[in-house]
Amino acid sequence: MTFPMDSGKDCVRAWEMMPWVLQDSATREQGAWLEDHLAQCEACRAEFAQQSRLRLALSLPAEVPVDVEAGLGRLLARLDTPEPQEARPRSRAGNWLSRALVAAVLVQALGIGILGVKLWSAGDNPAYRTLSQEPREILPAATPGAIRVVPDACMTLADWNALLHALRLQVVGGPNDVGAYMVAPVSPASTAQHALQQLRTTRGILLAEPVAATP
Amino acid sequence: MNDDDTDSDVTDRMLLQRMSAGDRVALGILYHSYHGRLCRFLTRLTRRADVIEEVINDCFWIAWQKAGSFHGDSRVSTWLMGIAYRCGLKALRQHGDEPVEDDPRHEERTPAHDLDEDRELRDWLSKGLERLSADQRVVIELVYGVGHTLDDVAVIMQCPVGTVKARLFHARVKLRNVLPGLAGDSARHTESAP
Repeated sequence: MTFPMDSGKDCVRAWEMMPWVLQDSATREQGAWLEDHLAQCEACRAEFAQQSRLRLALSLPAEVPVDVEAGLGRLLARLDTPEPQEARPRSRAGNWLSRALVAAVLVQALGIGILGVKLWSAGDNPAYRTLSQEPREILPAATPGAIRVVPDACMTLADWNALLHALRLQVVGGPNDVGAYMVAPVSPASTAQHALQQLRTTRGILLAEPVAATP
Repeated sequence: MNDDDTDSDVTDRMLLQRMSAGDRVALGILYHSYHGRLCRFLTRLTRRADVIEEVINDCFWIAWQKAGSFHGDSRVSTWLMGIAYRCGLKALRQHGDEPVEDDPRHEERTPAHDLDEDRELRDWLSKGLERLSADQRVVIELVYGVGHTLDDVAVIMQCPVGTVKARLFHARVKLRNVLPGLAGDSARHTESAP
């Protein structure tokens, strides 16, 4: 910090001391020293005169009129009025946020629930089949009067067809790995028992067993 | 601190003590006692009478609330001026900074009993203050107008004493270079001069 006077240490000291001498907070010795210095230094004397004028100007009452009684009256009235709580808007905003979060969680829970029910109901009977999956076997119970038949490997296709036609049977499954077919009567009117007996007596049929009787 | 300051601080502390017990008469006495100097102090920040009253009332509302927790680390006047300063800065942020400037209603505002000499002095002062920053105006007012020490001003403005010294120095240099009259042209120097 440099000082605005072309003087020595005394002027610097005088510059620093002026405000405190003016406001009467400097010691008596400091005041006396400044007085001596001012008597010798014209620049500091001019500075001190300006400082004195500044203090005088600043001690003038405020030029903006503010009614003290009216102000005090309003302050006392304010003391009787409960201050609006600043926390209220914050808690209101907090409530809004909480409600929004709860609503979002509820919507999510509802969605997960619906999805779960849908998956659970579709789990027993999938609406698709992979290429590696075996075709589902026809349930024997679903075909009344079904008979498992194993024809001789030497039996011609013509003989096999003629036999089925004569007994009014049709192939409903097979052949499986051992060459067994699943046959059933063409119409409910046909008697499975009769067809079974005929099959067992037919030459070229190695096995004929009703599916229901299979252990 | 001289004897008068000590006496007035003792009185202020007693008033604060009564305020902490809910004594509104004590509040009224303290309000009247500080109204003038707070008004003048706040005119260094704003010229609006409504804002000044609002800041003074905010200041005393806080003083009323915190009177019981005043521990006496500083003088009551320093404590109150600090509250007023912070309330003033808050009001400036809300209402916008209005630097000290000539107001068209200046003549109406000037008290009727103002002498020509005083009016001239005010004009002379306002020419200087309008060149200062708000913080520099506050330091000048607190030191020359109210009579606070550097330590007090540091407490009021919540900054180091060195910062107050720097503000006071630069404000004085600016005023010296701006204010016409007693200093004379020959005595004017720049800040960089030794």
